[in-house]
Amino acid sequence: MSNYIPTIGIEVHVELNTNTKIFSNSTNGYGMSANTLVNEIDLGYPGTLPLLNQEVLNIGIKACHVLHCKIRHEMHFDRKNYFYPDNPKNYQITQSRTPIGYDGYVEVDVDGVKKKIEIEEIHIEEDTCKSAHRKNVTLLDFNRAGVPLLEIVTKPCMTSGVEAMKYIEKLREVLLYASISDCKIEEGSMRCDCNVSIRKNKDDPFGTKVEVKNIGSISSVGVSVDREIERQAALYDKGESFKEQTRRFDSKLNDTVLMRVKETGNDYRYFPEPDIPYIHLTDSYIENVLSSISMLPDERREKYKQLGMSTVNIEKIISNKSLSDFLNSFLTSNIDMQIASNLLLGDISSYLNKTNKSICETKLTYDKFIDLVQKSSHRELTSKNIKEMLVDILESDKDIVTLMKEAGISNITDEKEVLRLILKVIENNGESVSSYLEGHDRAFKYLMGQVMKESGGKIDPLVASTILKRELDKK
Amino acid sequence: MNNKLSREEVLHVAELAKVRIKEDELEKYQIDLGKIFNDIAKIDDVSGYDDAIIISPFHEDARLRDDEEVEEVLVSDILKNVPCHSGNYIEVPVVINE
Amino acid sequence: MSKYLDQSILVIHELLKSKKIKPIDLVLEAYERIEENKDLNLFITLNKEEALKEAKLLEDMEVDNLLFGIPIALKDNIVTKDLKTTCASLMLANFMPIYDASVVLKLKKRHMIVIGKTNMDEFAMGSSSRTSYFGAPHNPWNIEKVTGGSSGGSAGVVAARIVPFALGSDTGGSIRQPASYCGIVGMKPTYGRVSRYGLVAFASSLDQIGPMTRNVYENALLLNAIVGMDSKDLTSVSLEKEDFTRFIGEDICGMKIGVPKYFMSDIVSIEIKEKMENVFSLLKEAGCIVEYIDISYIEQAARLYQVIAMGEASSNLARFDGIRYGYSCKDPKDIDDLYYRSREEGFGEEVKRRIMVGSYLLSGENAKKYYDKAMSVRSDIRTSFLDAFKKYDLLVGPTTVSCACDIAEDMSDPLKGFMDDVLVIPVNMAGLPGLSLPIGFSKEDMPIGMHIMANDFDEATIYKLASFIEEKLALDLCPRGGNYHE
Repeated sequence: MSNYIPTIGIEVHVELNTNTKIFSNSTNGYGMSANTLVNEIDLGYPGTLPLLNQEVLNIGIKACHVLHCKIRHEMHFDRKNYFYPDNPKNYQITQSRTPIGYDGYVEVDVDGVKKKIEIEEIHIEEDTCKSAHRKNVTLLDFNRAGVPLLEIVTKPCMTSGVEAMKYIEKLREVLLYASISDCKIEEGSMRCDCNVSIRKNKDDPFGTKVEVKNIGSISSVGVSVDREIERQAALYDKGESFKEQTRRFDSKLNDTVLMRVKETGNDYRYFPEPDIPYIHLTDSYIENVLSSISMLPDERREKYKQLGMSTVNIEKIISNKSLSDFLNSFLTSNIDMQIASNLLLGDISSYLNKTNKSICETKLTYDKFIDLVQKSSHRELTSKNIKEMLVDILESDKDIVTLMKEAGISNITDEKEVLRLILKVIENNGESVSSYLEGHDRAFKYLMGQVMKESGGKIDPLVASTILKRELDKK
Repeated sequence: MNNKLSREEVLHVAELAKVRIKEDELEKYQIDLGKIFNDIAKIDDVSGYDDAIIISPFHEDARLRDDEEVEEVLVSDILKNVPCHSGNYIEVPVVINE
Repeated sequence: MSKYLDQSILVIHELLKSKKIKPIDLVLEAYERIEENKDLNLFITLNKEEALKEAKLLEDMEVDNLLFGIPIALKDNIVTKDLKTTCASLMLANFMPIYDASVVLKLKKRHMIVIGKTNMDEFAMGSSSRTSYFGAPHNPWNIEKVTGGSSGGSAGVVAARIVPFALGSDTGGSIRQPASYCGIVGMKPTYGRVSRYGLVAFASSLDQIGPMTRNVYENALLLNAIVGMDSKDLTSVSLEKEDFTRFIGEDICGMKIGVPKYFMSDIVSIEIKEKMENVFSLLKEAGCIVEYIDISYIEQAARLYQVIAMGEASSNLARFDGIRYGYSCKDPKDIDDLYYRSREEGFGEEVKRRIMVGSYLLSGENAKKYYDKAMSVRSDIRTSFLDAFKKYDLLVGPTTVSCACDIAEDMSDPLKGFMDDVLVIPVNMAGLPGLSLPIGFSKEDMPIGMHIMANDFDEATIYKLASFIEEKLALDLCPRGGNYHE
């Protein structure tokens, strides 16, 4: 196969986390019985008019900010006219002339190299209804009609499947952290359409564009783009050409499949929406909206790193926003963040997963967590202790000290005392000591067992083993 | 622009508007639409105007709705007006090319 | 037969208040009059059962406002919950709205009684009401003549004294032109005065609902009842409450009145111009200053209007596709067949023509060439009007270039309809208020109307001048041989 330069641009639609729809006050919800979350506006009844949901505008402003876009201060909406059964008015209210945001970027890291993926524009629009296709009929459910969407359009600036995937990953992360959308690709609240073309040389005009839709997961983003690049390359290699078209990614075939060939120039007959007056955003309005954005992932990464958290833990924490949010309230509390993150990612996470709870639904208060981390770093609590006490820690109102008392945990933390115990064990087990010194690992385990037994299990094993080893090695 | 539109032009416009034109009506539409377009084309001569536009003669900012109050209608009321439905779903002939 | 409905609204109100009559008397009388005037084909749907029920209910209530218990007719493009709203189209011939238009709720709050839905041009597209799927309404002054349109039925029911009040809608003169043809008072309020929620949209940036009444005072009263900011219409304006009757009867001496030259040019028939000259003399005698002025691009307004109105209409009427409501063709073989045939069969010729033209004007390069240009020049037209109102209190001219034509007259010329409206269209383009007032009759005994235009939200001043002229002229405005006049 010859070498080609791929060009990829991505359009992402995300459904916004609002209570009600963009232009009507019916519920923005998922998974309800068909046509129960609708009113006359969503159905495009004669005489109805759109009413703009303020929260949609606010979320749009936040999206612009977190994607480093310029925010338009004066804007209106436009009508995109096309007939389709999922489009109740047969026009979609969108923003064509005055998108709320423009000229932004998302920074991604591809194999250690940072790259800014440029965002052309962000616009606000309404979702269409959901169609289900049967043999002879299509069934329409308008519950989704009028759900607010943001469309985020990149410039044709990506060159590989990996880059495309990294962009989507990063975009998703940022949108989640700014509470813009729940970004569930599987449920359709985040939809990616990739425009892929290839060309021989940098100076050639762009090749024929193919739009790849229906990408069902983040990992499919990279694969579908790469498969499409290969497919196009194979065609060009054979000397064939093809028409502009829309394809969908079929995860079973692991390839793209033709949906339709684009007819020459879709004529959407855009014109400004006369039913919605201009919207003017003042600086103070924008500032006020932005003040509610919590810390973004990259800033969190930086903070965690400064506070000594390992890279592995940082990424794990970031990938779980509720844990990261929880942890963020301890940024200035001077606790050991590595231990704190270990605790969260270990037993606490498995408990949360098992019980399907989020951390804020437990009784792990601010003070309790600080106590837990400190006792843990001072070896007053061993990981075994924590495992045993976990349910009480997370589900009871009692503080850590009380819980420790009830569990009878009073660990020996005084180093002198630990040393005294260890020396006693060494003295009483000469045989095993010799065996250890001859190189038998099992002897060490035996000695450790004796230490723990002697202390009644009240020494942190990690501490004990360090000191034991040190003392043995002196022999 | 010619006074009369071509058949193709009329059919194109009918397609945009999603209306069927019967063969025996074509001629009339060719003439009528031709007349209208011809007349409207005279605005080409209008000049000297300002670039500012009016989308609608309403000059206040859009009022924004709170994201709270919920008002829905009963699906049974909706279905009364629906020409063809199946259960709660509104039904249309199958749409291919999705 | 009782003749309460010939009385002024103040007299009727007193009769109701003193319990000499009940609302049901008025309702029954209205339906008798409908029966007698059946030949005029003014109504599409009657609301008799509900209206009688409502009237009964009102008997136990306090008569708390001037409009209490008074029958009113609504143009059939204003949606009424559980009362058929057809827009005079086969497309909606059986359409039952699931909500009330905001204006309807306002009328109900005043306890007015909706008598029925009036005939009109299909989807308000036309200027003689002859594009109605239900056949043309007839002019009460001469059954051979058109009522004008598109609010022809509403104009007719008021002119024929069937009900004292009706609502119409005005996109490019559709209240004022039929008011002029039928010899009644019709007001298109400032854009944004009255909520459009529940008005089936023709051209959203031009449409406005307004009152159609027997006289100026009653017009102002009805306007009082229907204005106000509506949270369901983002283009409805929030203003302090005012009483539109407040200047009625005030001295008009010193008022400055402009007459756009175009309004008195050759396009207007001589007899109409004569009647206007007559009014000008009256005004000058009363101490007004009357001067001719220029308004920029006014002679192009009708063309630019077509671009905007048909462009918006093509989009607004796209929703009628046979899927969620309305007419749906039989046995569609696929989705396109459903679209094409439902719209072909459900819409009349004029509507189809206009949405085709509108689609064309917005397609491809045309959007820039025509639509953007129309929006630009529209802004200049408005500016020019606003400049005029810096110097003049009001602008006046004739409402129409001629009187109502014969129903039988050829309507095949697709441009003729727009010519009828060249004098009423400019204020829609500018978003300003305008009123038509009867000022006399033609040689054929058909009413002639005068058009009074004002600055944004200055309807009260229009009523001031209109009531003065009305009183001075004291015309006999009861048609059909003055049946109800003794």
